Amino acid sequence: MGRLKSRDLWRMALRSLFLQATFNYERQQGLGWAWALQPALERLYADPVEVRERLAEHTAYFNTQPTLASLALGAVAALEEGRAAGEGPDAVAVARIKSVLGSSLAALGDRLFWFTLRPFAALLGVLVALGGSWLGAVALWVCYNLFHLGVRFLGVGWGYRAGTAVLDLAQRRRFERLTGALALSGTMLAGVTTAWLLVPGGEPRPLVFQAVFAAGLGLGLVAAARPRPSPTEWALGVGALCVAATWFR
Amino acid sequence: MSLQVFATLLLGGVAVLDATPIAQTLLSQPLVTATLLGAIWGEWRVALEVGVVLQILAASTLPIGSRTPEDYASGGVVGAAVALTIASGQHFLMLDDAAALLGVLAGLVTATFGVPLIKWQRRRNEGLSRWCEAEVRRGDAGAVGTAQRAGAVLAFAVGVGYCAACLALGVWLLGPLAGRHSLPLARAWTLAQPLWIGLGLAQLLQAFVQRRLIRAALFAMAMLATWLFLMVTGH
Repeated sequence: MGRLKSRDLWRMALRSLFLQATFNYERQQGLGWAWALQPALERLYADPVEVRERLAEHTAYFNTQPTLASLALGAVAALEEGRAAGEGPDAVAVARIKSVLGSSLAALGDRLFWFTLRPFAALLGVLVALGGSWLGAVALWVCYNLFHLGVRFLGVGWGYRAGTAVLDLAQRRRFERLTGALALSGTMLAGVTTAWLLVPGGEPRPLVFQAVFAAGLGLGLVAAARPRPSPTEWALGVGALCVAATWFR
Repeated sequence: MSLQVFATLLLGGVAVLDATPIAQTLLSQPLVTATLLGAIWGEWRVALEVGVVLQILAASTLPIGSRTPEDYASGGVVGAAVALTIASGQHFLMLDDAAALLGVLAGLVTATFGVPLIKWQRRRNEGLSRWCEAEVRRGDAGAVGTAQRAGAVLAFAVGVGYCAACLALGVWLLGPLAGRHSLPLARAWTLAQPLWIGLGLAQLLQAFVQRRLIRAALFAMAMLATWLFLMVTGH
């Protein structure tokens, strides 16, 4: 019926924000994926029956890191464009490419967004908030969303232009360099935060605070090496112990 | 007061939506929701103290794959709101500290007990997905949009309802406790706050350093340089 227009790509980018609206264990992001891809399918296929067939196909299992899903959406839209013109892969091949793209993007995205950028932004926010400023929340939100919303909105067009080569070696290296740089910055930020907690404004905290904080750090390093109990369960236990210790003193 | 409670519950629903179903912009993070609640309730100190502790603990709780992480979106809202409700009206330091301790505990309990609720929603969404595919194959392409809207509405309603229940229970159980026993609770806060921050910071450090010696050295150098700078300049 035709090629995709930039308006369609923007509609897909907006819909990608709802990728996990019906997140579930069976198909994970499958339904959200189909909904995000719907504007492209409606543009590419003239026959409404064919649109519905493609849409039903795309409601199958799909899962990736939600920010980088935009890249996969653009790449799969390009595949569907070829398919609608009679040049592209068949349904089985599209499903296979989708699955490969999903897992590759998840491997990169989980490391970049969940393991590195999110903790970095949180630490930056905490550092600002420790000074008693409400700007900590702003710092956290802006720092994360410069990357997150940027990739979410521009990623569909980027994936569409690059097609299945969206994750070539050069691109993967770029992502890995960014992850490494953020991890290094996060390490330094953790050092700055630790120092600020010990001597805020150049005024050393009481010895009890410093000792208890060091004990917390030690406990945290031990806890981080084990999957169970979770950090939240550790925190609950520690809190209950503190209440008990001061209550029965 | 009722307007503030209404705004708090609305924020609870929005935070739950942001956490997984829509956009994931980190609006749901405890520091952000606590700051917003601080503005709504007009009390920054308590809100930020609760927000910082819950944030540092939440930062290492990650939604990887199909793992169901603790519900820090509801936990952050309920924790800060319980603390603000207890602290509102009477402003003396000891009660503020007791309120902060109880707020963090309420937030952690809310986050932990939110997990079964998230699992329940995800199982409901499985049925919704199957229904949607059948409808699309039957000829209704609009079913995908309908299912998406239903998923979002369900998440928002569950978020508001869960926050309301936890807030009511938290204030009912913990409010009188803070009034009667503010001294031991304030003392417990002076112990628990650095322990919690240390515990959370260590998890983040572990995520950044990943057993690499150079990164560990970088952490030590950054800490030492900042410590010296703060001690010398007093800033």
